Amino acid sequence: MSCSGEKKQEQEQIASGPVTLEWWQFWTDPAIKPTIQQIVADYEAANPNVKINLTDLTWANGHEKIVVAFSSGKAPDIIELGSDWVAEFSSSGQLADITADVVADSAAFHGWSAGIWGDKIYAHPWILGTRIIFVNRELLRKSGLGEDYIPLNWDELKTACYTIDSLGENYHGFGSNAAEKHRLYKKFLPFVWAADGDIVSRNGKYAVFASDQVYRAMKMYKELNDSCSLVDTQRRLEDAFLAGKVGVIISGDWLLKRIRNENIELDFVTSFIPGPKYPGKSFAGGEYLAVSESSKNKAEALKFIKHVTSAENQLLFCKANYSANPSNKAATEDDFFKSDINLMTFVKQMNMSQMVPATPEWVYVEDIIERALEEILFNDAPIAETLNEANLEIKELLFKE
Amino acid sequence: MKKSQFTGYLFASPWVITFLVFWLFPLLFSLYLGFTDYRLLKPTWNWVGFDNFGALFSDGEFLDSLKNTFIFVVGTIPFTTAIALFFALLLNKNFPGRTLFRSAYFMPSITSMIVIALIFTNLYSRGGYIYLLADMIGLSPPDNGFLLSNKTALYSVMAMDIWMSVGYYMLLFLAGLKSIPEELYEAADVAGAGRIRKFVSITLPLLKPVALFIIVINTIKSFQVFVEIFVMTKGRYGTSTALYFIYDTGLSRFEFGYASAAAYILFLIIAVFSIAQFGLLKQRGMR
Repeated sequence: MSCSGEKKQEQEQIASGPVTLEWWQFWTDPAIKPTIQQIVADYEAANPNVKINLTDLTWANGHEKIVVAFSSGKAPDIIELGSDWVAEFSSSGQLADITADVVADSAAFHGWSAGIWGDKIYAHPWILGTRIIFVNRELLRKSGLGEDYIPLNWDELKTACYTIDSLGENYHGFGSNAAEKHRLYKKFLPFVWAADGDIVSRNGKYAVFASDQVYRAMKMYKELNDSCSLVDTQRRLEDAFLAGKVGVIISGDWLLKRIRNENIELDFVTSFIPGPKYPGKSFAGGEYLAVSESSKNKAEALKFIKHVTSAENQLLFCKANYSANPSNKAATEDDFFKSDINLMTFVKQMNMSQMVPATPEWVYVEDIIERALEEILFNDAPIAETLNEANLEIKELLFKE
Repeated sequence: MKKSQFTGYLFASPWVITFLVFWLFPLLFSLYLGFTDYRLLKPTWNWVGFDNFGALFSDGEFLDSLKNTFIFVVGTIPFTTAIALFFALLLNKNFPGRTLFRSAYFMPSITSMIVIALIFTNLYSRGGYIYLLADMIGLSPPDNGFLLSNKTALYSVMAMDIWMSVGYYMLLFLAGLKSIPEELYEAADVAGAGRIRKFVSITLPLLKPVALFIIVINTIKSFQVFVEIFVMTKGRYGTSTALYFIYDTGLSRFEFGYASAAAYILFLIIAVFSIAQFGLLKQRGMR
C-alpha cells in the first residue's frame, strides 16, 4: 500500500471514531505475557484510533468460555483457538470467512489445513507445534550402542529402546503415555501417518482406521508399550526422562524450554519421529487466530491478526517463549532457529508433520481412537477387532446418511 | 392481605426468589432439555420425545458409567459404615489421647477433596508410598501404578473415598453412642450380659436410626461421585461414573439435551433408593 493510501486509511479511521477490539487469548505465562502486551502496544501506537482489550483464558476452561460466548452472542472480535476447535466453530457459523483477505499470503505460512472448513478459510495459523523424539545419549553410551546411535526408523527405535531397557530395573527404553485424555492419540497418530495410514481417506469420504497400515502402526506401538516402556502421564514421563531413567520419549518444544529454564544437565539429542522407513511423520497442532462472525470490526480485527502473525512479531514471540514453530515461514529463517540445533529439529519436523482431519466431530473421533488405544494397550484387546470396531464408530459418526 | 402476612412474605422472598430462579427453574428447564436435541452451538433445537432416554439405554459408555457407579455405591457404603462404627466404638472409651485420635480421623473429612485426590494420585502411582508398600508385602501392584490399570483404578478410588469418609460418619456414630442411656448397659451388667450380647442387643438396635441416616446420605453422596474421578483418572481405566458421564457429555461436548436426560435418569435412581430407605425408616418408626 502506498504512503498516501495508508494516510488516507488512517484519516478514514479517525473520522469513523475510535475502535475497540476484544481479544481473547491463552498466553498467561509471565515469560510471554509481556511480549503479547508489547505486540498490542505496538499496534495501538501505530493505530491511535484502535484500542485492544486483552482477556486471558486458561486451557482448563477456555473452550467452555468460548462456546458460551459464541452461543450467547457475546463473542470477542478476535479469538485464539486450538487447531482442533476451528472446525467446530466455523461449521456452526461463529467465525468470519477470511478467505479473500488471506489467500494471497497463504504460501507464506504453514498450517492452513486446520483453519479451513469446506472450501473457506476461517482461522489464521499463529504459533504451531509438533512432536519430536528426545533421546538420552548417556543411556545410549551405557547400553553399548554408542552415543551416536540415534534411531531414524522403527527397527532402530526398537533396538535403542530394548537395549536401554535391558540396562536394569531402573531404566526404561521408551516413555509410553498412559490413557490420558487429549494426549494419548497425539503420540500414536505419528506411527499411523508414518506407516501411510490415516483416520479418513484423502478424499474425506471413508473411514480408513482399520487398514493394514494402522494395524502395523498399532502393533509397533503396542510392542514398545508392552516390552520396554515406562507407562505414565506426560508430565511424569518427562520427569523420568529428565532424571535419566528413560531412553526415548516423544515430546514438544515445552520440554526444551523446561530443560533451559530449570538448568537441567542432561546429555540428550533431539531427532525426527521415526517411521518404518526414514523419515517418519509427526503430529502437528497449534494456535489459530479467528475473527468472530458477530464482530462489528472485522476488517480492523483481521488487520490486527496480520500484525500479530507477521514474521517480526512471531519471532519476538518465539524468542520470548522459546517456541520452535512459528507459522510464518519467513520467521523460521532467523538465526534464532538456525543457531539452535534442537529448535531446528522442530522446524524441520514441521515439514514432515500432519494435522488431524478438520471436522466439527473431532472431539468424538478423538474419543473413539483413545478408547480403542486404551483397550488394546492396557486391556490386551485384539488389535484387528478393536480397530475394526473403532473404524465402524468413526464411519457411523462422520459418514452417516 | 394482613400487614403481618406481607412482612412474612417479604422476609421469605429472598430465599423464595433464589429458590425459584436458581433451583426450580434450572431443574424444570433441564427436564425440558432432556426431551430435546439441544447442543450449545446449534442455533435451533427440536423436541425429540423420549429419544435421548432410549439412546442412553443403548449407549455402552452410559451403561458402563452406571455400572461403575453401582460398584462404587455397593463397594464403599458397607465398608465406610462398618469402619466408622468400629472407630466410633473404640473412641467412645476413655483413654489418653482420645481427642487427638478423633481429630486425626475427622481431619480428612474437612480437607479439600481435590487436595486428597492429588495426594492419593501420587501415593498410588508407580514409586508412590502405597505402591511401594504393596510391592514390599508381596501384593504385586500393577506395573504402571494403581490408577493406570483397569483392574485396580476404580477400587483404588473407592478405597480412598472410604478412608476420607470414615471420620465424618464416625462422628455421627459417636453422637449416637452418646445418646444411649448408660442405665441400659448397667441393667445388662446386672443381668450378666457379656460385651457381645450388649453390643447386639443394646448398641446396634439403638444406633439403627443413625446407621440408616448414614446409609441414606452416603448413598446419595456415592451416587454423585465425581471430583475423585475428575482429578485422579478423568474417567479412564474403567472409572467413568454417571456424574462424570453427565459432565463430559454436557460440559465437554455441550450436548445439553442428552446430558440432561442422563441427569434425570441418575436423579430417578437416587430418588428411588432414597425413598426406599426413608420408607424403611418410617416403617420402623425411626423418623
